[in-house]
Amino acid sequence: MFSIAAAELKMLVRNRLVAICAILMPLGLGLVFLVRGTTEGAPALAAIQIMAMVSLGVYITATTTLAARRQTLFLKRLRSGAVSDGSIITGLVAPIVIVSIVQVGIVLTALSVSAGAPPANVGLLIVALLATEAMFVGFALATAGVTNSPEHAQVTTLPLFFAILGVTVWVTFTGFGDLGWLKRLLPGGGATELIITAWSGGDLSSVASLIAPTLAWAVLGVFAAKAMFRWEPRA
Amino acid sequence: MTNDIVLETQNFGYTYGDFSAVRDLSIQVRRGELYALLGTNGAGKTTTLETLEGHRKPTAGKVAVFGGDPTDRKDIRPRMGIMLQESGFAADLNVRESILLAGAISGRQDDVDRVLAAVDLVDKATTRVGQLSGGQKRRLDFAMAIWGTPELLFLDEPTTGLDPSARDGLWDVVAGLRREGVTVILTTHYLEEAQKHADRIGLMHGGRLEREGTLAELVAGELSHISFVAPAGSELPLPVASSVNGLTTIETDDLQRDLYVLLGWADRGGHRLERLSATSSSLDDVFRSLATH
Repeated sequence: MFSIAAAELKMLVRNRLVAICAILMPLGLGLVFLVRGTTEGAPALAAIQIMAMVSLGVYITATTTLAARRQTLFLKRLRSGAVSDGSIITGLVAPIVIVSIVQVGIVLTALSVSAGAPPANVGLLIVALLATEAMFVGFALATAGVTNSPEHAQVTTLPLFFAILGVTVWVTFTGFGDLGWLKRLLPGGGATELIITAWSGGDLSSVASLIAPTLAWAVLGVFAAKAMFRWEPRA
Repeated sequence: MTNDIVLETQNFGYTYGDFSAVRDLSIQVRRGELYALLGTNGAGKTTTLETLEGHRKPTAGKVAVFGGDPTDRKDIRPRMGIMLQESGFAADLNVRESILLAGAISGRQDDVDRVLAAVDLVDKATTRVGQLSGGQKRRLDFAMAIWGTPELLFLDEPTTGLDPSARDGLWDVVAGLRREGVTVILTTHYLEEAQKHADRIGLMHGGRLEREGTLAELVAGELSHISFVAPAGSELPLPVASSVNGLTTIETDDLQRDLYVLLGWADRGGHRLERLSATSSSLDDVFRSLATH
Protein backbone atom coordinates (compact mmCIF):
# COMPACT_ATOMS: atom_id res chain seq x y z
CA MET A 1 0.00 0.00 0.00
CA PHE A 2 2.79 2.45 0.91
CA SER A 3 4.63 1.85 -2.37
CA ILE A 4 1.41 2.51 -4.31
CA ALA A 5 0.76 5.66 -2.26
CA ALA A 6 4.34 6.89 -2.80
CA ALA A 7 4.06 6.29 -6.55
CA GLU A 8 0.68 8.03 -6.66
CA LEU A 9 2.07 11.05 -4.83
CA LYS A 10 4.90 11.30 -7.37
CA MET A 11 2.40 11.15 -10.22
CA LEU A 12 0.25 13.79 -8.54
CA VAL A 13 3.16 16.21 -8.31
CA ARG A 14 4.76 15.44 -11.68
CA ASN A 15 1.71 15.86 -13.87
CA ARG A 16 1.26 19.63 -14.13
CA LEU A 17 -2.43 19.54 -15.00
CA VAL A 18 -3.23 17.18 -12.14
CA ALA A 19 -1.04 19.19 -9.76
CA ILE A 20 -2.92 22.38 -10.63
CA CYS A 21 -6.34 20.74 -10.26
CA ALA A 22 -5.56 18.77 -7.12
CA ILE A 23 -3.19 21.08 -5.26
CA LEU A 24 -3.32 24.68 -6.43
CA MET A 25 -7.02 25.08 -7.26
CA PRO A 26 -8.43 23.93 -3.91
CA LEU A 27 -5.78 25.97 -2.12
CA GLY A 28 -6.57 29.02 -4.26
CA LEU A 29 -10.30 28.55 -3.69
CA GLY A 30 -9.79 28.40 0.07
CA LEU A 31 -7.63 31.50 0.07
CA VAL A 32 -10.13 33.45 -2.06
CA PHE A 33 -12.84 32.83 0.55
CA LEU A 34 -10.39 34.03 3.18
CA VAL A 35 -10.60 37.62 1.90
CA ARG A 36 -14.09 37.88 3.37
CA GLY A 37 -13.06 36.53 6.76
CA THR A 38 -14.43 38.21 9.91
CA THR A 39 -14.55 37.03 13.51
CA GLU A 40 -18.34 36.55 13.38
CA GLY A 41 -18.34 34.93 10.00
CA ALA A 42 -15.32 32.66 10.58
CA PRO A 43 -17.26 29.45 11.54
CA ALA A 44 -19.47 29.61 8.44
CA LEU A 45 -16.52 30.55 6.28
CA ALA A 46 -14.51 27.62 7.64
CA ALA A 47 -17.39 25.28 6.74
CA ILE A 48 -17.63 26.63 3.20
CA GLN A 49 -13.85 26.49 2.78
CA ILE A 50 -13.60 22.89 3.95
CA MET A 51 -16.54 21.66 1.90
CA ALA A 52 -15.39 23.46 -1.24
CA MET A 53 -11.76 22.43 -0.90
CA VAL A 54 -12.43 18.79 -0.06
CA SER A 55 -15.07 18.40 -2.75
CA LEU A 56 -12.63 19.77 -5.32
CA GLY A 57 -9.41 18.32 -3.92
CA VAL A 58 -10.68 14.89 -2.90
CA TYR A 59 -14.01 14.13 -4.56
CA ILE A 60 -13.23 15.36 -8.07
CA THR A 61 -9.51 14.50 -7.97
CA ALA A 62 -10.02 10.97 -6.63
CA THR A 63 -12.82 10.24 -9.12
CA THR A 64 -10.67 11.52 -11.98
CA THR A 65 -7.61 9.62 -10.76
CA LEU A 66 -9.43 6.30 -10.42
CA ALA A 67 -11.01 6.70 -13.87
CA ALA A 68 -7.63 7.57 -15.38
CA ARG A 69 -5.84 4.66 -13.72
CA ARG A 70 -8.53 2.29 -14.94
CA GLN A 71 -8.50 3.69 -18.47
CA THR A 72 -4.72 3.19 -18.79
CA LEU A 73 -5.05 -0.35 -17.31
CA PHE A 74 -2.89 0.72 -14.37
CA LEU A 75 -5.50 -0.71 -11.98
CA LYS A 76 -5.26 -4.05 -13.77
CA ARG A 77 -1.49 -3.87 -13.46
CA LEU A 78 -1.76 -3.26 -9.71
CA ARG A 79 -4.22 -6.16 -9.43
CA SER A 80 -1.61 -8.43 -11.02
CA GLY A 81 0.40 -8.16 -7.82
CA ALA A 82 -0.01 -9.71 -4.42
CA VAL A 83 -1.76 -6.79 -2.72
CA SER A 84 -5.48 -6.70 -1.93
CA ASP A 85 -8.06 -4.52 -3.65
CA GLY A 86 -8.46 -2.53 -0.43
CA SER A 87 -4.74 -1.80 -0.29
CA ILE A 88 -4.73 -0.71 -3.92
CA ILE A 89 -7.60 1.74 -3.43
CA THR A 90 -6.13 3.00 -0.17
CA GLY A 91 -2.76 3.50 -1.82
CA LEU A 92 -4.29 5.46 -4.68
CA VAL A 93 -6.56 7.65 -2.54
CA ALA A 94 -4.36 8.22 0.54
CA PRO A 95 -2.02 10.80 -1.07
CA ILE A 96 -5.02 12.78 -2.32
CA VAL A 97 -6.53 12.82 1.17
CA ILE A 98 -3.22 13.76 2.81
CA VAL A 99 -2.66 16.63 0.39
CA SER A 100 -6.23 17.79 1.07
CA ILE A 101 -5.74 17.71 4.84
CA VAL A 102 -2.56 19.78 4.51
CA GLN A 103 -4.37 22.26 2.24
CA VAL A 104 -7.25 22.65 4.67
CA GLY A 105 -4.80 23.01 7.55
CA ILE A 106 -3.01 25.86 5.78
CA VAL A 107 -6.19 27.71 4.87
CA LEU A 108 -7.86 27.29 8.28
CA THR A 109 -4.71 28.48 10.02
CA ALA A 110 -4.72 31.53 7.80
CA LEU A 111 -8.44 32.05 8.55
CA SER A 112 -7.98 31.88 12.30
CA VAL A 113 -5.14 34.41 12.08
CA SER A 114 -6.90 36.81 9.73
CA ALA A 115 -10.24 36.61 11.57
CA GLY A 116 -8.52 36.81 14.94
CA ALA A 117 -10.61 33.90 16.20
CA PRO A 118 -9.13 30.41 16.41
CA PRO A 119 -11.51 27.43 16.46
CA ALA A 120 -13.04 26.81 19.86
CA ASN A 121 -12.77 23.02 19.66
CA VAL A 122 -9.78 21.98 17.57
CA GLY A 123 -10.24 18.28 18.37
CA LEU A 124 -13.82 18.30 17.11
CA LEU A 125 -12.77 20.28 14.05
CA ILE A 126 -10.24 17.55 13.21
CA VAL A 127 -12.94 14.90 13.66
CA ALA A 128 -15.25 16.93 11.40
CA LEU A 129 -12.54 17.25 8.75
CA LEU A 130 -11.76 13.54 8.82
CA ALA A 131 -15.45 12.62 8.60
CA THR A 132 -15.83 15.00 5.66
CA GLU A 133 -12.78 13.49 3.93
CA ALA A 134 -14.24 10.00 4.46
CA MET A 135 -17.60 11.06 3.03
CA PHE A 136 -16.02 12.50 -0.11
CA VAL A 137 -13.80 9.43 -0.57
CA GLY A 138 -16.94 7.27 -0.41
CA PHE A 139 -18.62 9.48 -3.00
CA ALA A 140 -15.52 9.38 -5.21
CA LEU A 141 -15.38 5.58 -5.15
CA ALA A 142 -19.06 5.37 -6.07
CA THR A 143 -18.83 8.01 -8.80
CA ALA A 144 -15.72 6.36 -10.25
CA GLY A 145 -17.89 3.30 -10.83
CA VAL A 146 -19.99 5.19 -13.35
CA THR A 147 -17.13 7.21 -14.83
CA ASN A 148 -15.48 5.85 -17.97
CA SER A 149 -12.62 8.32 -18.35
CA PRO A 150 -10.98 11.35 -16.72
CA GLU A 151 -12.86 13.57 -19.17
CA HIS A 152 -16.13 11.87 -18.22
CA ALA A 153 -15.37 12.67 -14.56
CA GLN A 154 -15.85 16.37 -15.34
CA VAL A 155 -19.51 15.54 -15.99
CA THR A 156 -20.23 12.73 -13.51
CA THR A 157 -18.93 14.66 -10.49
CA LEU A 158 -20.90 17.82 -11.17
CA PRO A 159 -24.32 16.83 -9.73
CA LEU A 160 -23.00 15.81 -6.33
CA PHE A 161 -20.41 18.62 -6.28
CA PHE A 162 -23.08 21.29 -6.74
CA ALA A 163 -25.60 19.50 -4.53
CA ILE A 164 -23.19 19.37 -1.59
CA LEU A 165 -22.08 22.96 -2.06
CA GLY A 166 -25.74 23.93 -2.24
CA VAL A 167 -26.48 22.16 1.03
CA THR A 168 -23.42 23.80 2.62
CA VAL A 169 -24.52 27.28 1.57
CA TRP A 170 -28.12 26.55 2.66
CA VAL A 171 -27.00 25.45 6.13
CA THR A 172 -24.51 28.31 6.64
CA PHE A 173 -26.94 30.98 5.48
CA THR A 174 -30.14 29.74 7.14
CA GLY A 175 -28.80 28.17 10.32
CA PHE A 176 -29.70 24.86 11.92
CA GLY A 177 -33.24 25.62 13.10
CA ASP A 178 -35.65 25.32 10.19
CA LEU A 179 -35.76 21.81 8.74
CA GLY A 180 -32.71 20.98 10.86
CA TRP A 181 -33.24 17.20 10.62
CA LEU A 182 -33.40 17.42 6.82
CA LYS A 183 -30.26 19.53 6.63
CA ARG A 184 -28.38 16.99 8.75
CA LEU A 185 -29.50 14.08 6.60
CA LEU A 186 -28.58 15.68 3.28
CA PRO A 187 -25.03 14.96 2.03
CA GLY A 188 -22.71 17.56 3.52
CA GLY A 189 -25.35 19.02 5.83
CA GLY A 190 -24.23 17.21 8.97
CA ALA A 191 -20.57 17.91 8.20
CA THR A 192 -21.24 21.62 7.69
CA GLU A 193 -23.06 21.91 10.99
CA LEU A 194 -20.31 19.93 12.71
CA ILE A 195 -17.57 22.26 11.42
CA ILE A 196 -19.52 25.35 12.47
CA THR A 197 -20.17 23.84 15.90
CA ALA A 198 -16.48 22.96 16.32
CA TRP A 199 -15.30 26.42 15.29
CA SER A 200 -17.84 28.44 17.27
CA GLY A 201 -17.85 26.19 20.33
CA GLY A 202 -21.56 25.40 20.19
CA ASP A 203 -23.63 22.71 21.87
CA LEU A 204 -21.78 19.36 21.78
CA SER A 205 -24.84 17.23 22.59
CA SER A 206 -25.75 16.89 18.94
CA VAL A 207 -22.24 15.89 17.76
CA ALA A 208 -23.09 12.20 17.35
CA SER A 209 -26.16 13.01 15.27
CA LEU A 210 -23.95 15.12 12.99
CA ILE A 211 -21.11 12.63 12.59
CA ALA A 212 -23.43 9.68 12.03
CA PRO A 213 -25.09 10.89 8.79
CA THR A 214 -21.72 12.09 7.46
CA LEU A 215 -20.12 8.68 8.02
CA ALA A 216 -23.31 6.96 6.80
CA TRP A 217 -22.86 8.73 3.47
CA ALA A 218 -19.27 7.48 3.37
CA VAL A 219 -20.40 3.91 4.04
CA LEU A 220 -23.17 4.23 1.47
CA GLY A 221 -20.60 5.43 -1.06
CA VAL A 222 -18.37 2.42 -0.36
CA PHE A 223 -21.32 0.02 -0.72
CA ALA A 224 -22.32 1.67 -3.99
CA ALA A 225 -18.71 1.40 -5.16
CA LYS A 226 -18.62 -2.30 -4.29
CA ALA A 227 -21.59 -2.83 -6.57
CA MET A 228 -20.54 -0.49 -9.37
CA PHE A 229 -16.75 -0.18 -9.34
CA ARG A 230 -14.93 -1.70 -12.31
CA TRP A 231 -11.23 -2.48 -12.39
CA GLU A 232 -10.94 -2.59 -16.15
CA PRO A 233 -12.37 -0.41 -18.91
CA ARG A 234 -15.65 -1.57 -20.38
CA ALA A 235 -14.92 -3.82 -23.36
CA MET B 1 -2.95 -32.75 -8.22
CA THR B 2 0.61 -34.00 -7.81
CA ASN B 3 3.48 -31.72 -6.83
CA ASP B 4 4.70 -31.91 -10.39
CA ILE B 5 1.54 -30.26 -11.75
CA VAL B 6 1.81 -26.48 -11.50
CA LEU B 7 -1.42 -25.59 -13.20
CA GLU B 8 -4.58 -27.52 -13.94
CA THR B 9 -8.03 -26.83 -15.34
CA GLN B 10 -10.90 -29.32 -15.26
CA ASN B 11 -13.85 -28.68 -17.58
CA PHE B 12 -13.20 -24.98 -17.17
CA GLY B 13 -15.74 -22.68 -18.77
CA TYR B 14 -16.31 -18.94 -18.87
CA THR B 15 -19.37 -17.09 -20.11
CA TYR B 16 -20.00 -13.39 -20.70
CA GLY B 17 -23.77 -13.12 -20.39
CA ASP B 18 -25.09 -15.52 -23.02
CA PHE B 19 -21.78 -15.79 -24.83
CA SER B 20 -19.63 -18.78 -24.01
CA ALA B 21 -16.00 -17.66 -24.37
CA VAL B 22 -14.39 -20.87 -23.06
CA ARG B 23 -15.99 -24.31 -22.91
CA ASP B 24 -14.97 -27.51 -21.22
CA LEU B 25 -11.24 -26.76 -21.17
CA SER B 26 -9.05 -29.30 -19.40
CA ILE B 27 -5.28 -28.85 -19.38
CA GLN B 28 -2.38 -29.70 -17.11
CA VAL B 29 1.01 -27.98 -17.09
CA ARG B 30 3.96 -29.60 -15.36
CA ARG B 31 6.74 -27.88 -13.46
CA GLY B 32 9.44 -26.49 -15.75
CA GLU B 33 7.35 -26.81 -18.91
CA LEU B 34 6.82 -24.07 -21.48
CA TYR B 35 3.21 -24.48 -22.55
CA ALA B 36 2.00 -22.38 -25.47
CA LEU B 37 -1.70 -21.65 -25.66
CA LEU B 38 -2.44 -20.66 -29.23
CA GLY B 39 -5.63 -20.02 -31.08
CA THR B 40 -7.59 -18.13 -33.65
CA ASN B 41 -8.90 -14.63 -32.89
CA GLY B 42 -11.66 -14.86 -30.28
CA ALA B 43 -10.71 -18.43 -29.42
CA GLY B 44 -10.80 -17.69 -25.70
CA LYS B 45 -7.05 -17.54 -25.03
CA THR B 46 -7.07 -14.24 -23.16
CA THR B 47 -10.08 -15.23 -21.04
CA THR B 48 -8.33 -18.50 -20.21
CA LEU B 49 -5.07 -16.78 -19.39
CA GLU B 50 -6.75 -14.12 -17.26
CA THR B 51 -8.58 -16.81 -15.32
CA LEU B 52 -5.36 -18.74 -14.76
CA GLU B 53 -3.73 -15.49 -13.61
CA GLY B 54 -6.56 -14.95 -11.13
CA HIS B 55 -8.06 -11.89 -12.80
CA ARG B 56 -11.35 -13.75 -13.35
CA LYS B 57 -13.24 -16.54 -11.61
CA PRO B 58 -14.36 -19.47 -13.78
CA THR B 59 -18.09 -19.70 -14.38
CA ALA B 60 -17.83 -23.49 -14.78
CA GLY B 61 -15.36 -26.21 -13.85
CA LYS B 62 -12.20 -25.89 -11.79
CA VAL B 63 -8.96 -23.96 -12.13
CA ALA B 64 -6.05 -24.61 -9.80
CA VAL B 65 -2.58 -23.06 -9.73
CA PHE B 66 -0.05 -24.57 -7.33
CA GLY B 67 -2.99 -26.59 -6.06
CA GLY B 68 -4.84 -23.46 -4.95
CA ASP B 69 -7.14 -20.75 -6.14
CA PRO B 70 -5.30 -18.35 -8.49
CA THR B 71 -7.36 -15.44 -7.15
CA ASP B 72 -5.61 -15.96 -3.81
CA ARG B 73 -3.27 -12.97 -3.93
CA LYS B 74 -1.66 -13.62 -0.57
CA ASP B 75 -0.36 -17.14 -1.12
CA ILE B 76 -0.51 -17.87 -4.86
CA ARG B 77 0.27 -14.53 -6.53
CA PRO B 78 3.78 -14.11 -5.10
CA ARG B 79 4.69 -17.28 -6.99
CA MET B 80 3.46 -15.87 -10.33
CA GLY B 81 4.93 -13.33 -12.73
CA ILE B 82 2.42 -11.83 -15.13
CA MET B 83 3.24 -10.06 -18.39
CA LEU B 84 -0.04 -8.54 -19.52
CA GLN B 85 -1.02 -8.22 -23.17
CA GLU B 86 -1.56 -4.48 -22.72
CA SER B 87 0.86 -2.58 -20.58
CA GLY B 88 -1.00 -0.44 -18.02
CA PHE B 89 1.88 1.76 -16.97
CA ALA B 90 1.95 5.06 -15.12
CA ALA B 91 3.31 7.49 -17.71
CA ASP B 92 4.67 9.88 -15.06
CA LEU B 93 6.84 7.30 -13.30
CA ASN B 94 10.25 6.48 -14.69
CA VAL B 95 11.41 3.00 -15.64
CA ARG B 96 13.26 2.32 -12.38
CA GLU B 97 10.33 3.52 -10.27
CA SER B 98 7.89 1.42 -12.31
CA ILE B 99 9.93 -1.73 -11.80
CA LEU B 100 10.33 -0.99 -8.10
CA LEU B 101 6.58 -0.47 -7.74
CA ALA B 102 5.81 -3.73 -9.54
CA GLY B 103 8.42 -5.44 -7.38
CA ALA B 104 7.01 -4.00 -4.17
CA ILE B 105 3.53 -5.36 -4.90
CA SER B 106 4.77 -8.70 -6.28
CA GLY B 107 5.59 -10.27 -2.93
CA ARG B 108 9.07 -11.21 -4.22
CA GLN B 109 12.52 -9.74 -3.67
CA ASP B 110 15.04 -8.76 -6.34
CA ASP B 111 17.63 -6.16 -7.33
CA VAL B 112 16.32 -3.47 -9.67
CA ASP B 113 19.68 -3.08 -11.41
CA ARG B 114 19.81 -6.80 -12.19
CA VAL B 115 16.32 -6.67 -13.69
CA LEU B 116 17.10 -3.51 -15.70
CA ALA B 117 20.19 -5.21 -17.12
CA ALA B 118 18.27 -8.40 -17.95
CA VAL B 119 15.87 -6.49 -20.20
CA ASP B 120 18.50 -4.07 -21.52
CA LEU B 121 16.87 -0.95 -20.09
CA VAL B 122 19.76 0.30 -17.93
CA ASP B 123 20.23 3.44 -20.04
CA LYS B 124 16.48 4.16 -19.80
CA ALA B 125 16.27 3.76 -16.01
CA THR B 126 15.48 7.43 -15.37
CA THR B 127 13.33 7.94 -18.46
CA ARG B 128 9.63 8.47 -17.84
CA VAL B 129 7.53 5.59 -19.12
CA GLY B 130 5.45 7.95 -21.23
CA GLN B 131 8.55 8.67 -23.32
CA LEU B 132 9.38 5.03 -24.09
CA SER B 133 8.82 3.39 -27.45
CA GLY B 134 6.36 0.50 -27.79
CA GLY B 135 9.18 -2.04 -27.77
CA GLN B 136 10.79 -0.52 -24.68
CA LYS B 137 7.45 -0.61 -22.88
CA ARG B 138 7.13 -4.29 -23.78
CA ARG B 139 10.56 -4.93 -22.25
CA LEU B 140 9.54 -2.98 -19.15
CA ASP B 141 6.45 -5.17 -18.92
CA PHE B 142 8.67 -8.24 -19.14
CA ALA B 143 10.96 -6.82 -16.45
CA MET B 144 8.02 -6.46 -14.08
CA ALA B 145 6.97 -10.06 -14.73
CA ILE B 146 10.40 -11.61 -14.11
CA TRP B 147 11.10 -9.59 -10.94
CA GLY B 148 12.16 -11.99 -8.20
CA THR B 149 12.21 -15.03 -10.55
CA PRO B 150 8.64 -16.29 -10.13
CA GLU B 151 7.95 -20.03 -10.19
CA LEU B 152 5.28 -19.55 -12.86
CA LEU B 153 5.56 -16.95 -15.60
CA PHE B 154 2.65 -15.85 -17.82
CA LEU B 155 3.73 -14.29 -21.09
CA ASP B 156 0.84 -12.83 -23.08
CA GLU B 157 2.09 -11.84 -26.55
CA PRO B 158 5.53 -11.05 -25.11
CA THR B 159 7.35 -10.12 -28.31
CA THR B 160 4.71 -8.00 -30.03
CA GLY B 161 6.39 -4.76 -31.11
CA LEU B 162 9.92 -5.99 -30.41
CA ASP B 163 12.65 -5.91 -33.04
CA PRO B 164 14.39 -9.24 -33.82
CA SER B 165 17.35 -8.45 -31.59
CA ALA B 166 15.11 -7.58 -28.63
CA ARG B 167 13.08 -10.74 -29.26
CA ASP B 168 16.23 -12.83 -29.11
CA GLY B 169 17.20 -11.06 -25.89
CA LEU B 170 13.82 -11.81 -24.33
CA TRP B 171 13.97 -15.48 -25.29
CA ASP B 172 17.51 -15.70 -23.88
CA VAL B 173 16.17 -14.48 -20.53
CA VAL B 174 13.29 -16.96 -20.72
CA ALA B 175 15.78 -19.75 -21.46
CA GLY B 176 17.76 -18.73 -18.37
CA LEU B 177 14.63 -18.76 -16.24
CA ARG B 178 13.72 -22.19 -17.54
CA ARG B 179 17.14 -23.48 -16.52
CA GLU B 180 16.17 -22.37 -13.01
CA GLY B 181 12.98 -24.44 -13.27
CA VAL B 182 10.49 -21.68 -14.03
CA THR B 183 7.25 -22.84 -15.68
CA VAL B 184 6.08 -20.65 -18.55
CA ILE B 185 2.62 -20.17 -20.06
CA LEU B 186 2.85 -18.42 -23.40
CA THR B 187 0.34 -16.99 -25.83
CA THR B 188 1.59 -15.55 -29.08
CA HIS B 189 0.60 -14.92 -32.67
CA TYR B 190 4.17 -15.66 -33.77
CA LEU B 191 3.75 -19.38 -34.39
CA GLU B 192 7.44 -19.84 -35.12
CA GLU B 193 8.20 -18.76 -31.54
CA ALA B 194 5.81 -21.34 -30.11
CA GLN B 195 7.24 -23.90 -32.51
CA LYS B 196 10.78 -23.10 -31.40
CA HIS B 197 10.37 -22.71 -27.66
CA ALA B 198 7.28 -24.61 -26.46
CA ASP B 199 7.44 -28.09 -24.97
CA ARG B 200 3.74 -28.56 -25.54
CA ILE B 201 1.15 -26.57 -27.44
CA GLY B 202 -2.58 -26.25 -26.94
CA LEU B 203 -4.63 -25.00 -29.87
CA MET B 204 -7.94 -23.29 -29.11
CA HIS B 205 -10.74 -22.50 -31.50
CA GLY B 206 -14.26 -21.31 -30.73
CA GLY B 207 -13.67 -21.51 -26.98
CA ARG B 208 -12.55 -25.14 -27.04
CA LEU B 209 -9.18 -26.85 -26.89
CA GLU B 210 -9.13 -28.52 -30.30
CA ARG B 211 -5.63 -30.01 -30.32
CA GLU B 212 -2.86 -30.46 -27.76
CA GLY B 213 0.56 -32.05 -27.80
CA THR B 214 4.21 -31.61 -28.70
CA LEU B 215 5.05 -30.00 -32.01
CA ALA B 216 5.86 -33.42 -33.49
CA GLU B 217 2.51 -34.79 -32.35
CA LEU B 218 0.59 -31.84 -33.73
CA VAL B 219 2.17 -31.83 -37.18
CA ALA B 220 2.25 -35.63 -37.49
CA GLY B 221 -0.79 -35.81 -39.75
CA GLU B 222 0.02 -32.71 -41.78
CA LEU B 223 1.47 -32.76 -45.30
CA SER B 224 4.81 -31.21 -46.33
CA HIS B 225 5.13 -29.14 -49.50
CA ILE B 226 7.51 -29.02 -52.48
CA SER B 227 7.19 -25.95 -54.71
CA PHE B 228 8.93 -25.09 -58.00
CA VAL B 229 8.37 -23.72 -61.48
CA ALA B 230 7.61 -26.80 -63.57
CA PRO B 231 9.58 -27.08 -66.84
CA ALA B 232 7.29 -26.40 -69.81
CA GLY B 233 5.89 -29.47 -71.59
CA SER B 234 7.27 -31.96 -69.12
CA GLU B 235 5.31 -34.66 -67.30
CA LEU B 236 6.05 -34.56 -63.57
CA PRO B 237 6.79 -37.78 -61.63
CA LEU B 238 4.47 -36.80 -58.75
CA PRO B 239 0.83 -35.64 -58.59
CA VAL B 240 0.40 -31.86 -58.50
CA ALA B 241 -1.64 -30.40 -55.63
CA SER B 242 -1.90 -26.90 -57.05
CA SER B 243 -0.42 -24.56 -59.61
CA VAL B 244 -0.67 -20.83 -58.92
CA ASN B 245 1.14 -18.04 -60.80
CA GLY B 246 3.38 -20.60 -62.49
CA LEU B 247 4.42 -22.10 -59.17
CA THR B 248 3.62 -25.79 -58.90
CA THR B 249 3.09 -27.32 -55.46
CA ILE B 250 3.28 -30.98 -54.54
CA GLU B 251 1.98 -32.21 -51.20
CA THR B 252 3.68 -35.14 -49.55
CA ASP B 253 3.55 -37.20 -46.38
CA ASP B 254 7.20 -38.22 -46.91
CA LEU B 255 9.24 -35.18 -47.85
CA GLN B 256 12.61 -36.91 -48.17
CA ARG B 257 11.30 -39.72 -50.41
CA ASP B 258 9.35 -37.47 -52.79
CA LEU B 259 12.08 -34.82 -52.96
CA TYR B 260 14.52 -37.61 -53.93
CA VAL B 261 12.08 -38.78 -56.65
CA LEU B 262 11.65 -35.25 -58.01
CA LEU B 263 15.37 -34.37 -58.03
CA GLY B 264 16.21 -37.72 -59.62
CA TRP B 265 13.66 -37.07 -62.37
CA ALA B 266 15.03 -33.55 -62.96
CA ASP B 267 18.61 -34.81 -63.05
CA ARG B 268 17.88 -37.57 -65.50
CA GLY B 269 15.84 -35.33 -67.81
CA GLY B 270 18.16 -32.33 -67.55
CA HIS B 271 15.31 -30.18 -66.15
CA ARG B 272 16.05 -27.07 -64.13
CA LEU B 273 13.59 -26.55 -61.24
CA GLU B 274 13.44 -22.77 -60.77
CA ARG B 275 12.41 -21.39 -57.32
CA LEU B 276 12.59 -24.86 -55.79
CA SER B 277 11.69 -25.02 -52.11
CA ALA B 278 10.78 -27.81 -49.70
CA THR B 279 8.83 -27.07 -46.52
CA SER B 280 8.22 -29.51 -43.71
CA SER B 281 4.79 -29.61 -42.17
CA SER B 282 4.57 -26.85 -39.57
CA LEU B 283 2.38 -25.37 -36.92
CA ASP B 284 1.14 -22.91 -39.56
CA ASP B 285 -0.50 -25.78 -41.41
CA VAL B 286 -2.13 -27.13 -38.26
CA PHE B 287 -3.29 -23.64 -37.36
CA ARG B 288 -4.74 -22.97 -40.81
CA SER B 289 -6.60 -26.26 -40.88
CA LEU B 290 -7.99 -25.38 -37.46
CA ALA B 291 -9.07 -21.91 -38.58
CA THR B 292 -10.90 -23.27 -41.64
CA HIS B 293 -12.34 -26.16 -39.64
